[in-house]
Amino acid sequence: MHIERYPELKPGRKWIKRFYLSIMLWTVGKAIPVAAKVDKEIKKELDKLPDNFTLRLMILPERALGPFFYAKMLPAFVADKGLLPYGMQMIIHKDKEGKLHYQGADPRGKKFDLSMAFKSLEAAMMVFTFRESTPTGYAHDRFVVEGYLPYATAFMRVLDIVEVYLLPKPIARLAVKRYPKWSEMSPLRKHLNRLIIYVRAFTF
Amino acid sequence: MLLPSFYDFCCRVRTLSGIDTLEQIPRQLARLRAAHPMIVSDKGVGAAGLIDKVVQAMGDGLKIGAVYDQVPVDSDYKVVDDAAKVYRRNGCDAIIAIGGGSVIDTAKGINIVVSLGGDSLLAYEGFGAVNRRLRPLVVVPTTAGTGSEMTLVAVIADPDRKIKMLFPSYFILPDLAVIDPRMTQTLPDFLTASTAMDAMTHACEAYFCLEKNPLSDSFALRAIRLISQHLLEVVKNPGDLNGRLALANASAMAGIAFSNSMVGMVHNLGHTVGALCHVPHGVAMSIFLPYGLAYNLGKAADPIGELLFPLAGPEVFAATPKKERPAKVIAHIRRMNEDLHAATGGKHPRCLKEVTGRDGSQLVPRSLLPAIAEATLLDGARLTNPEEMLPADALPVLEHAWEGTPLGR
Repeated sequence: MHIERYPELKPGRKWIKRFYLSIMLWTVGKAIPVAAKVDKEIKKELDKLPDNFTLRLMILPERALGPFFYAKMLPAFVADKGLLPYGMQMIIHKDKEGKLHYQGADPRGKKFDLSMAFKSLEAAMMVFTFRESTPTGYAHDRFVVEGYLPYATAFMRVLDIVEVYLLPKPIARLAVKRYPKWSEMSPLRKHLNRLIIYVRAFTF
Repeated sequence: MLLPSFYDFCCRVRTLSGIDTLEQIPRQLARLRAAHPMIVSDKGVGAAGLIDKVVQAMGDGLKIGAVYDQVPVDSDYKVVDDAAKVYRRNGCDAIIAIGGGSVIDTAKGINIVVSLGGDSLLAYEGFGAVNRRLRPLVVVPTTAGTGSEMTLVAVIADPDRKIKMLFPSYFILPDLAVIDPRMTQTLPDFLTASTAMDAMTHACEAYFCLEKNPLSDSFALRAIRLISQHLLEVVKNPGDLNGRLALANASAMAGIAFSNSMVGMVHNLGHTVGALCHVPHGVAMSIFLPYGLAYNLGKAADPIGELLFPLAGPEVFAATPKKERPAKVIAHIRRMNEDLHAATGGKHPRCLKEVTGRDGSQLVPRSLLPAIAEATLLDGARLTNPEEMLPADALPVLEHAWEGTPLGR
């Protein structure tokens, strides 16, 4: 038997998918605290969460990417900017005053009250490329929820509204069960809020 | 039918069904290497003489370690911890649950504590906490509706935090379900009606909601057929053991179906009115089922139309054009509710305003409907419903269900 004829196959690292998902998580994470300030419905949903509450959305397996391995050695104030994909995750904290903060992708030293984890990179790709809406992803077991389920349903409602703001209508329609009608969200409110969310989330 | 791109199905509960199956429990327990079981039940089941019936049927082949019959209607973790102490004190090695959904869920909770160790169930809340094989659990359902004997989750309340805790795990599934119609023979007519409609709702929602899959579909369709054929007969003639057996089987099958494909807005609304107004689960299900079907016609008309076959039979199905089938399904369920209302002498409510407490007072005041609509957002069953339902959508549905008027499109 010539073992050299049977070389060991190494799985690809899927850098492009990882990069894409990291950007998506970062965008959603930055947008949620701002959206909570401008949209009453999101605020109402997030008010259901208790104060001093930390939630995260992540993609399994939880591990830092090779080139970012040294992220572990960086001080927390750098990692908390969310620029370093320590594994692929997004952490949001609700403080004692009820204000939301995006806390980047560094899980070290944090206790999570609610954790939603996509079971694999491909499962996350199905949902983040909008081939499956969030509820369909839930029905197809693409992610697991750890924590109190009513808080997860509130967070998923927030995700739905944020997606409507961040994405153009033809794409957002694939991501949510029902795109809001005019009576539910007027075009003026939608476009104005969208502008504010984009500007405030990504400038300061 | 379009197959789902992914689904997860598991049912490994050994099921014994028939008119004399209680007698087989000692032999089956011996196969599971248990000889000293604890019986878990509630006062109502004890008063109806069902515990004695089971003990008598099992004969001398088994030495009962203890009988715990203090399970309340809404069981909480303190009851579980208390019962676990009784189990340990008497050196039991298995559990026999005799009762409805609350008793069965409590027994599942007790099994977690006594098998995995510790003093309290609280340590095992959430996904993944129960991760190894538990002690033998035998379930003898005394209502034909909840399907808890086939489900992999236990729902137990925490009165301190005012929440219902979920304990989902494949290890929670009972080892043996014993379906004997003698256990449901003494069930009053209105409870037979509402529990069977609960099973009907499990089957219908399993068939049209987002997590449907071909395996659960087959269980759901047969369950609907059995309920539709036998329910009214059993309500009119409570001694009909074959009909009782059919309903108990349907309940178990509907349990398998919904345990593997989840439920939708009917349960969402039902859980909410249950939590806020203490409407019995089966009653809420029978009232909301036609509204849940009507509300989802936009997204799930095809699977809802297919339900006409098991509901009304092949002749009616074949004689009805495809586009008229969904409306006929809804009309059929509404007529079933009307017939049950008449057969039980008005004790089976058709709409929310007819639901009364033991003292005759109305359980759901109309003024509470907006609060109920708002609270529906917190229930997990919302996610698997085909159509989006926000509070603004839930309110008109609740108003129609309160009045008993059909839902307009």
